[in-house]
Amino acid sequence: MSWYTLPANVPWLTLVLLLPLIGALLVALTPSVAVRVIKQLGILTSVITLALVVAIIGGFQQGVGNLHLQFEEGLQWIPSLGISYHLGIDGLSLFLLGLNALLFLIAIVVTDSLTPRLKEFILLLLILEAATAGILLALDLVLFYVFWEAMLVPLYFLIGVWGEGRRVYAAFKFLIYTVIGSFAMLVAILAVAGINFSQTGQLSFDWTVLVQHPAAGVWHLPAGLGSIGIPQLLFFGFALAFAIKMPIFPLHTWLPPAYTASPIPVVIVFAGLVSKLGAYGFLRFNLSLFPDAAHSLGGPLAVLATIGILYGAFMALVQTDLKRLVAYASMSHLGFIGLGIFAGNLLGIEGALVQMINHGVIIAALFLVVGMIERRAGTRDRGELRGLAATAPLFAALFLVVSLAALGLPGLNGFVGEFLIMLGAWSSFVPLAVGAGIGVILAAWYVLRFYQGSTQEAPPQPARFPELRLADVGVLAPLLGLMLVIGISPAFFPAAVDATVKALPVIVR
Amino acid sequence: MTIDLNGLGIDYGAILPELIVVGTAIVVLFLDLVVPPDRRGWLAAVTVVGLLGALAASFPLWGQNRAAFGDTVVADSLAAFFNVLLIVISIFTALISPRFLRALELDFGEYYILLLGATAGMMLLAAATSLMTIFLGIELLSISLYVLSGFARTALRSQEAALKYLLLGGFATGFLLYGMALIYGATGSTTLRAIAAYTTAAAASNVLLLVGIALLSVGLAFKVSAAPFHMWTPDVYEGAPTVVTTFMSVATKAAAFAAIGRIFIATFPSISSRWYFPLALIAIFSLFIGNLVAITQDNLKRMLAYSGIAHAGYILLGVLPGTTQGFTATLFYIAAYAVMNFGAFAVVTAIGAGGEQTAELSYWRGLFYRRPFLATVMTIFMLSLAGIPPTVGFFAKLFVFQALVTAQIWAPLVVAVIMTIVSFYYYLRVIVVMLAQPDGAVTESRVGFSTSSVLGAAAVATVFLGLFPAVVLDWASHAASLHF
Repeated sequence: MSWYTLPANVPWLTLVLLLPLIGALLVALTPSVAVRVIKQLGILTSVITLALVVAIIGGFQQGVGNLHLQFEEGLQWIPSLGISYHLGIDGLSLFLLGLNALLFLIAIVVTDSLTPRLKEFILLLLILEAATAGILLALDLVLFYVFWEAMLVPLYFLIGVWGEGRRVYAAFKFLIYTVIGSFAMLVAILAVAGINFSQTGQLSFDWTVLVQHPAAGVWHLPAGLGSIGIPQLLFFGFALAFAIKMPIFPLHTWLPPAYTASPIPVVIVFAGLVSKLGAYGFLRFNLSLFPDAAHSLGGPLAVLATIGILYGAFMALVQTDLKRLVAYASMSHLGFIGLGIFAGNLLGIEGALVQMINHGVIIAALFLVVGMIERRAGTRDRGELRGLAATAPLFAALFLVVSLAALGLPGLNGFVGEFLIMLGAWSSFVPLAVGAGIGVILAAWYVLRFYQGSTQEAPPQPARFPELRLADVGVLAPLLGLMLVIGISPAFFPAAVDATVKALPVIVR
Repeated sequence: MTIDLNGLGIDYGAILPELIVVGTAIVVLFLDLVVPPDRRGWLAAVTVVGLLGALAASFPLWGQNRAAFGDTVVADSLAAFFNVLLIVISIFTALISPRFLRALELDFGEYYILLLGATAGMMLLAAATSLMTIFLGIELLSISLYVLSGFARTALRSQEAALKYLLLGGFATGFLLYGMALIYGATGSTTLRAIAAYTTAAAASNVLLLVGIALLSVGLAFKVSAAPFHMWTPDVYEGAPTVVTTFMSVATKAAAFAAIGRIFIATFPSISSRWYFPLALIAIFSLFIGNLVAITQDNLKRMLAYSGIAHAGYILLGVLPGTTQGFTATLFYIAAYAVMNFGAFAVVTAIGAGGEQTAELSYWRGLFYRRPFLATVMTIFMLSLAGIPPTVGFFAKLFVFQALVTAQIWAPLVVAVIMTIVSFYYYLRVIVVMLAQPDGAVTESRVGFSTSSVLGAAAVATVFLGLFPAVVLDWASHAASLHF
């Protein structure tokens, strides 16, 4: 934000990757029985990482640098194949990196010290943090893919070992879906580099190189079956990986079991951050490497995103398990992000970027609330909960703020992103903007019913739902603060990413 | 008739590593007579020392191109590459053997002699540039392995494995020899250099030569356990003493692929249009059968056997483009496979030191809580075999896929990608089983120092090469530039 200039000779972004790994190493060296030390190490590590990321955000300068990239670091990695260790941030990744650091801090703070095998749990969370940060920072396609796949392993274990219910099934389904998408992307990555090599004679997997020569050409199917544009084909390869991760309807079926099975700390980063990495991938690779294909295929994808908004909203309406309700709400909100991206115009993409932060903040807060309810009431069945406000007015008040942000009340953050997205969608696809509007109405329905049903009316006798402790408020406070700040000064985020978004090839065209 | 000995190109320096290994075998043979039965660990030590000597003698071969013995062997970078790989595998095998053999009461000196014999045969195979030396190498390694497979003399499964391997192996040797005879008949020579000179594009219609190559390929596909010539693999891998399986699963495959490279990439590039399709079919078959059947296996040794068939398919994919880039990927894959698969089998060996039933997957329930070290390294090996970064297995697959994309070979690539996704199921199942709550207390023997060092080294190498693959890739690239 150009508040100050950071020294240039420090590898800031590598530090962002290394800090969680150093923390993980320290945790690994701590005896398993020292649970307090382990948790404090985890918190300390993520606090330092967050501070570092905030410092980087503060030192980021709008619209400066090659392709608006800053803090770039480049090292040869596999020179003979043109694969490099190339890191950098721009407007697309800047705030997501902040969200990453914040959500992992919250996840580790809310981790119960009584969690079995706490050491391994914290260890995997820290490794996951490094992997997700790597996804946001990598500018080499192979490096990006390495982080993308590396993210899978800790997530798989976190769900499969510490999850609840059908955790192994859920973890496995998630894994298989993701891997199918990943390999489609891997082939597309190899093909992109191969095509660039045949066009320019330079073998490189570097995004900054590839983005300057968009792939072109037509692939003629054998036996006169017609032809497919090569950019469209490659776009599809990347899109499959990202659409599964987001997820976009109809590739979402792994999501409800995975979110429901995940323990609360995991689902906070899973729903709050990992889903956004799919959206980030669309922006970083699909829209920049294949701008033409993004135009021609944006329409169908926007339709799917809108179906996802409505489908997720309707499914959220009929859930009785609050965790599943929030899982479907998350899917519905991600549909907005997809719609904004595929609208393919400035307003839509800026709205999507803002909404990515908002969604992370809101969904993390909602899952936190669900976790608090479950721990206090011993159930998360909507039918069994009522009158929580009677004994816990502060909880009810904070829950109300989260709910209002989730349904998009003006003055809170959810409104900003949704409004920008709908403006963008209106100028590209009017009927889809209308569909998204219906999604907003449905959101008000299921969110308010969730809030009212659980907090209002007479409490069951005897009322036992305890009030929030200071620590609980402390966990929610940064998220609530962000909801208010973004809601009150809505221009902050769009302005900060404006230069990057305007330079995206899909906008330039 | 006088024989011009100088014209034969006798050059012992070119085969010095092989000579050292054979010499060590002879030393061990005689030492076995004087070493008391409870001190047979010394034999392993002598074996390791001899192999280290051969390792040192292999480095000077790097960068040379030194044909010797009438063009029947060559001392070049490819030979050096495989020498180093095979000797390291052999050293690691010798290090994990004593404890396992003692536990099974198989601690006999012959074991080390046969191990050295097989290693010498494999090294010879990797350096062979004549049909005769190729055959000699294959026979030397095969006969040693036939005996090693049946080394557990009182175990019925081991005997069955040895007999099956011997009979089917003999059959494959028949194919191999017949193919060699036909190639000799077609080209009039047994040295690959002369055969390559004869084989111009016009030879593509020489039926005698093509049938000869086909039969030769059958014999080699048998050795690398590529489908549909893989039938022996699961039974032999399961029945043989685990430590033998550990050795043969990686070393045999590596050595046979050296020969495949010399034959297909260097000798028959001009008729690649003829061998491309059958080889692609074998690769695709291997990928399908290996990956799909591995899913149903509940015995870890059988599962790894089918996984080995699948990996033979991936390795063979690198040969398909017929380019140096493709063969580089093949060599890198072989090195990666050697590290990770050796590690996986070595874990089975470490656990199996208590008895053979331990390869049943159900026995591995909750291993993370009973044996955290073994379970952790096994997880690394499984992730690497599946090809998940940051492990060496990922880059092995990446380089092969990259070579296929560059050569625009699409159908085998698509099969390989889909089958890789399938393979996640059975590799990760092992991890899931190890993470499950244990059934009850199971007593097991401790892991010895040498075994845990070997396992630790393999695990570290798996991750290290997954982070920094460039150096080995450069070596592979250098070794892969073959030409006559």
